[in-house]
Amino acid sequence: MKRALFITLNEVKLYLQDKGDLAFGLLLPILTFALMYGAFGGQTLFKATASIVNEDNGAYSQQLIKQIDSVDGVSIDLMNAKEANTKLDRSDLLMVLFIPSGFSDTLANGGQAELVFKQRGNGGTEGQILASIMRGAAENINQEFQARHLAAGNLEGTGISNDSIALVVQDYLTQERQQPTVSVAEVTTGGSPDFANQYLPGIVTMYVLFALSLSATTIVEERRRGTLERLLTTRLSIGELFIGKFLSNVARGFVQTLILLVLAYAVFQMFTPVSFLAAMVITLLFTAAAGGIGLIIAAISRTESAASWIGVVVTMFMTMMGGTFFTIAKGSVLDTMSKISLNTYANRAYRTIISSGGSLGEAWRPLLVMLVVAVVGLIISRMIFKPVPGSK
Amino acid sequence: MAEEFVVVKDLHKSFKDFKAVNGVSFTIGKGEIFGLLGPNGAGKTTTIRMMSTVLEPDSGDIIIGGHSIKKEAEAVRSIIGVCPQDLALYEDLSAVDNMIFFGRMAGLTSEEARKQARTNLELMGLEDRAKGKVSKFSGGMKRRINLAIALMGEPELLFLDEPTVGIDPQSRNHIFENIQHLKQKGLTVLYTTHYMEEADRLCSHIAIMDGGQIIAMDTPYNLKSQIGSPDKVTLEDVFLKLTGRSLRD
Repeated sequence: MKRALFITLNEVKLYLQDKGDLAFGLLLPILTFALMYGAFGGQTLFKATASIVNEDNGAYSQQLIKQIDSVDGVSIDLMNAKEANTKLDRSDLLMVLFIPSGFSDTLANGGQAELVFKQRGNGGTEGQILASIMRGAAENINQEFQARHLAAGNLEGTGISNDSIALVVQDYLTQERQQPTVSVAEVTTGGSPDFANQYLPGIVTMYVLFALSLSATTIVEERRRGTLERLLTTRLSIGELFIGKFLSNVARGFVQTLILLVLAYAVFQMFTPVSFLAAMVITLLFTAAAGGIGLIIAAISRTESAASWIGVVVTMFMTMMGGTFFTIAKGSVLDTMSKISLNTYANRAYRTIISSGGSLGEAWRPLLVMLVVAVVGLIISRMIFKPVPGSK
Repeated sequence: MAEEFVVVKDLHKSFKDFKAVNGVSFTIGKGEIFGLLGPNGAGKTTTIRMMSTVLEPDSGDIIIGGHSIKKEAEAVRSIIGVCPQDLALYEDLSAVDNMIFFGRMAGLTSEEARKQARTNLELMGLEDRAKGKVSKFSGGMKRRINLAIALMGEPELLFLDEPTVGIDPQSRNHIFENIQHLKQKGLTVLYTTHYMEEADRLCSHIAIMDGGQIIAMDTPYNLKSQIGSPDKVTLEDVFLKLTGRSLRD
C-alpha cells in the first residue's frame, strides 16, 4: 500500500512540474466561477427594462415613471409610439406601457385615467413581471388620489385648503408605506432558490467529470512513456498501481472542484459551514466514482486518443442523461436512461444540500451508489487490465 | 559453467494465432553476461517480458535465483533490474527524482534510495546533472539514466535490451565500460543488441533467436568456428548466415 502512495505522490509531483497543466487545472475553476458570477452575480435576481411610451408628459405620468424606476432591478427605456410599435411588430419587444396624452389632466380633474399595456402574446415572463410591477405603481397613485378625494369630501366646508389636505394625506400615505399595517416578512429556509443555487450542482457535476477524463488517460500515458512496463518489473503490484493512480486522480479532481465550491461559498454565500462540508463529502465521493469509471476506460484503451475520446463520450452522455441542465420528466424514457448516469445521483445529492438545504443523511442513497461505483470501478479496471495489449 | 542462476524451460507464448515464442530453453550462469540476439520480431522482447514477469507464459517456466516466475513473481521482481530498449523515464522530473522514485518502487527506504541514486549517478558520470530535468538531457545522457535506474535496488540479474542504441560513441563506450564493471562485480546480465561486436566482446554465451525459437546457442568463439576460422569470421557473419539476409520489417 505504501508503494501506491508513492505512485500518487509521483503523479502529484509530475502534475506540479507541468506548468501548463497546472495553470489550466487551477485557473479553469476560477474562470468557470467568473462566468457563473457574470451570469448569476449581483444583489438583484430580477433585472428587466420597462419600455414606456409617455404621450402625456404631465406631472402624474412623470410620478408614475419615477415610481417604476425606483423598483430594484427595473430600468426605464422611454421611446415614442412609432418606435415602440415597430419593435413590437418585429418582436424586439414583447410588452410596452403606453401612457396616453391627457393622463395627468384627467387625474387632476378627478376623472378616471387609463394606462395601456400593448404586448405580443402574453408579453413573455419578463413582461408579465414588469406589468405586475407597473400595476403596483399605478395602484399606489390610485390610492393616493382616492384618499385625497375622500379626505377633501369629508372636510368640505371646514375652511381647510385643498393643498393642506393633500399634504396631510401625503404624510399619512408615506407613513403607511414605511410602516404598513400588513407587512410581509421574508424567512429563508435552506438555500435560497436562485439561479446560482439551481445551476451550481450541474456545473459542479460536469466539472467533477474532468476527473474521469484524467483517469481515462493515466495508464496509456504511462505506457507511452515506457514507464508502465518498467513499473511492472518492480515490486509494485498492479493493484497498487491502480490504487495509486486512482488516489492521484481523485485528489486532482477534488482540488479543482474545491476551488469552485470555495469561490461559490465566498461570493454567493451559498453554504453554511456544515453544508459546505457536506458538499465536500459529495464531491469526494463523486470524484472517486468518476475516477473508478475513468480507470475502466484506462484499462481497455490502447492509445491516448482512444482513452480521451471514450472519456469525452462517457462524460457527454452522463451530463446529458444526468439532468444537469434540464429537468427530466419522471417516468419518461430519459428518466429510465438517466439511472445509469452518475450525474443523476451526484445532482440529487448536491441539490439536497445546496438547493434544498438538506443534510448528508437525506442524500444517503445517491452517496451509496457513488461509493459502490468507485469501488466496483477500481476492481473491474484491475481485473480487465492487460500489461501488454493483446496478451492473455 | 558457473552455478545456474537463470533456467528457462520450454517457453511458449502466443498472441492470438501468432506464436511469438515457441519452445525456448536456455540457462544463464551466475555472474555471466548472456547475449540474446536475433532480427526484429524474433521473439527476444517477448522472452524478456516473460522473464521480467510482465507477461505470463502460455506454458513452460522460468526460474530466476531459485524462484519461479509463475509462483513467486514478486520474489523474482525483487532481484531483477530492467533497462528497456525504449527510454522509460519521467522527463518532467529530475534525474535524481526518477532514480529515487524507482528505488522506492524496488523496495528501498528513502535513505537507501538517495544513497544508491548518488552512487549510480556517479557511475554513469551524471552526478553534476542530478537535479537537472531529464527532458533537457541529450540522448546519451538519457540512455545512461535509463541504465542507472535499472541498477536501483542492487539487482542480481540485469536485463539490458539494446542499451546502446542511437547514441554517440562516447556515451556508448561509457555504457560499455559500465557493463564490464558490473560483470566484474558479479552481476548476471541478459544482453540484447544489434551491435554484434558488442555481443562478441561482452558475452560469454550467446543465443540467436529467429521465428520464436533459438536457432543457435554457444560461446561467441564456438559460434564463429561453425562457419570458419574464429579469427577471420565475425559474429555478424554467423548471424546473417543463420538468420538470412531478407529484411524483417
